[in-house]
Amino acid sequence: MSGIYVHIPFCKSKCTYCDFASYPKEIGKAELYFACLYKEMKGRAESLDGYTFDTVYFGGGTPSFVDPKYIYGAMKQLKNYYKITNDAEITIEINPGTLDENKLKIYKAAGFNRFSVGMQSANDEILKDLNRIHTSKQFLEACELLKGENLSVDIMIGLPDQTEEDIKKSVDLAIAGGAVHISAHALKAEEGTPMYGRYLNGELPSADEVADMYDFTRNYLAKRGFSRYEVSNFSKEGYYSRHNLNYWNRGEYIGFGVSASSFIGERRFTNTEKIDEYTACILRNKVAEIYGEEIEGDEREFEFIMLGLRKERGIAFDDFKERFGVDFREKYADKIKQLSPFLDITLENIAIKPDKLYVQNEIIIRFMD
Amino acid sequence: MAKTVKENIRNFCIIAHIDHGKSTLADRIMEVTGQVAERDMEEQLLDSMDLERERGITIKLTPVRMSYKAKNGEEYIFNLIDTPGHVDFTYEVSRSLAACEGAVLIVDATQGIEAQTLANCYLALDNDLEIVPVINKIDLASADPDSTAKEIEDVIGLDGSSAPRISAKNGINIEGVLEKIVSDVPAPSGDDEAPLQALIFDSYYDNFKGVICFVRIMNGIVSQGLKIKTFTGDKQFDVTEVGTFNPQLIPKKSLSSGEVGYIAASIKSIEDIHVGDTITGVNFPASEPLPGYKKVQPVVFSGIYPLDGSKYGDLKDALLKLKLNDASLTFEPDNSAALGFGFRCGFLGLLHMEIIQERIEREFDIDIITTAPSVSYKIHLTNGEVVTVDNPSRFPEVSSIDYAEEPMIEANIFTPPDYVGAIMELCQDKRGTFKDMSYIDAKRVKLNYKLPLNEIIFDFFDGLKSRTRGYASFDYEVSGYERSELVKLDIMLNGDVCDALSVIVHKDKAYPRGRALAERLKEVIPRQLFEVPIQASVGGKIIARETVKAMRKDVLAKCYGGDITRKRKLLEKQKEGKKKMRQLGSVEVPSEAFMSILKIDSSDK
Repeated sequence: MSGIYVHIPFCKSKCTYCDFASYPKEIGKAELYFACLYKEMKGRAESLDGYTFDTVYFGGGTPSFVDPKYIYGAMKQLKNYYKITNDAEITIEINPGTLDENKLKIYKAAGFNRFSVGMQSANDEILKDLNRIHTSKQFLEACELLKGENLSVDIMIGLPDQTEEDIKKSVDLAIAGGAVHISAHALKAEEGTPMYGRYLNGELPSADEVADMYDFTRNYLAKRGFSRYEVSNFSKEGYYSRHNLNYWNRGEYIGFGVSASSFIGERRFTNTEKIDEYTACILRNKVAEIYGEEIEGDEREFEFIMLGLRKERGIAFDDFKERFGVDFREKYADKIKQLSPFLDITLENIAIKPDKLYVQNEIIIRFMD
Repeated sequence: MAKTVKENIRNFCIIAHIDHGKSTLADRIMEVTGQVAERDMEEQLLDSMDLERERGITIKLTPVRMSYKAKNGEEYIFNLIDTPGHVDFTYEVSRSLAACEGAVLIVDATQGIEAQTLANCYLALDNDLEIVPVINKIDLASADPDSTAKEIEDVIGLDGSSAPRISAKNGINIEGVLEKIVSDVPAPSGDDEAPLQALIFDSYYDNFKGVICFVRIMNGIVSQGLKIKTFTGDKQFDVTEVGTFNPQLIPKKSLSSGEVGYIAASIKSIEDIHVGDTITGVNFPASEPLPGYKKVQPVVFSGIYPLDGSKYGDLKDALLKLKLNDASLTFEPDNSAALGFGFRCGFLGLLHMEIIQERIEREFDIDIITTAPSVSYKIHLTNGEVVTVDNPSRFPEVSSIDYAEEPMIEANIFTPPDYVGAIMELCQDKRGTFKDMSYIDAKRVKLNYKLPLNEIIFDFFDGLKSRTRGYASFDYEVSGYERSELVKLDIMLNGDVCDALSVIVHKDKAYPRGRALAERLKEVIPRQLFEVPIQASVGGKIIARETVKAMRKDVLAKCYGGDITRKRKLLEKQKEGKKKMRQLGSVEVPSEAFMSILKIDSSDK
């Protein structure tokens, strides 16, 4: 299993919490950017010759904001240069305020078969507060167009003044829109964003309040038939995101575009976040990496544990043994004993107890060193 | 050395309450006598340790020799001997006073006489010094030199009217002080022909020369090659170098009676030299030492442990090196179930303790955990034995104790009358016994209390400061032991006793302190994966309980899954943060928790 990630760093306007590589004012650079993106895709092809990809993910920014011809072109380029399986999961992120019938037709023609819609909240006040460009009505309109498709919806929790009732309505609306997969992310105030100022002002809910919201969300989603498979990801039976699971399984992936991360042959590398730097590098036939690191033996193991324990099902012992040649239970007997109140252990696997998944850092770092 | 020279020597020190301008006046005097060019002046030359300058205090004594051409046309040699102002170092002060004939007493014209002014003044009088009062800070708007002069007369009984009125900061009337020193401070007496008697008033360890003894020659002459010994030690040394201070060392051929200078004699250990001891010649020895020597005993004790257990050896080296220059520091190996291997250290007082702790961290770069300070108790056992206990973990079984004694102090507190009630309440709460109260003038009162030392090391200073808005000043001297009802207060984390958090307290204080301690620990112990009960107990009986709730959110949940490196780095950082923590059983406790015992005011509860 290997994946491809493509980053589209454009959007209509910046949300107040967003610190991702996305530049509303740079849309004029789209033509150059995509030319470089195609070039980067072509340039990597030879070195990835032996790979077969079964997931593709277009994220951003807002991929649905740019002219659909660019998306189509990017997908075409990938198909030209990479082996992508016939049943590959091919996802595109969509902002409800930017979708129309024509765009969707082109996406489908390009091969997209999974749509991830950023709803964030059913409460229009909150949407306005977050500087989202859409309303809940527009979300439903987008869903109408996407009826019958493999639909994922993003919602946010831990927002200022958010109530359980708000969260309940958001989940209800996502399901009404046809979601079979829901990602529920807690707001994190990142430095440099407007939200950070509000965090400093004490306007954000406390960690305990967020934990309450998270528990409520998880329980309510379970009631509505969505089970958690990773900290923030919930789906109906069989509809988990294969692309994201590949990350948690420590599978390989190649990323194209600004800020995209890759993991190929035990090497992790990440492209620059800056559009100009990216295009300048690609045009000069250079890679646009600003960071690269070979992951050595022990770190591989820790990464596998760190990522594996994010999942509801945790780490399978046979998988671990196959990768690292040792039995997890033997190697970590002491830690398992010490952490036993927080772990579920079966014959096949080890996982963090469902009600402790939200305090996983403390558990995971015990496996470091 | 010609006799006329001795008549022109003036050995003096400067004494003052903290912040009344002692170091500033010393700097000005050196400047006026041309000892240092103005452009070379770094503020407060005598306080050479960074710590001294930052805290505005003097720890090590630094003498300096200057020459001054007086208005009478004659050239005088001034030896200024700096003194530490703090009560912890009273004995050192008394020894450097003994090396002088006079003392310049600075009184701040905006504040008048304070507790340390008086304490130092009494010390100077005890040593028969001629006191030259000086009224400082006359340039400030709030200065009241007339009433300060009157206070000097009323409280100390000196002539305040002729006291030079100066501003050390702005260099006003510094000559007035110098002329007063010439006219009022007597020249040293002493006989060059008599056997050598040199008073050691300080020392430090030099990597090349060995121990450098700071001395005042009372009688006789010392020069290179002389065989010397001290009265308390049995070792003999050959003098390799003598000289005076600039304040750097300036070698000279000899030092004769009346002079202040240093002696180096390849002395390998500071243990061989004791402040207050007398050096004499081996071949022509004095029949008796100079009076006043006593061995300094530590009064405050605390455990010092390396945060990282593998740094035990480094910590030991650091303590040994500090001891080279500070014979009053004592330490012995200790171990705690909670903190591992470390040292039980003895200090002259709280300030001394803080200084040593800071120097270990700064100069030796070792992160340490220190336990709450304790005093030394005398426990009389039922079998008639008496044990000295300065470490709560060595407190005997209750059933084996006949009775206990704790060290007491005599405290002088100076305060504006408005705060007398608040101070009395504080002293009462600290188990103090009222002794005396007198009005210095309409604006200030002197209170005299007897207090247990263990209450002073707890949070007395903070309490005094907050109750008097900083207007009261305080000084004390240790005054023997008294019978007391003492108990050991234990703290349990998640059901296990943490030995490093135990304290010895008076029975009546156990309950409020236990409660305050549990509350304080609840604040400093971070939330963990599980709930942590904090209990305070005396003799197995729980007297207070608090709970640190289990943490509920500790997760990296950003939506872009691909950037694994960032996730790993964040977790590494979180793990790194844990290095400041101690694992006590199943509970992680931050290192500052062990000092938090100090930072609570139980009387506010």
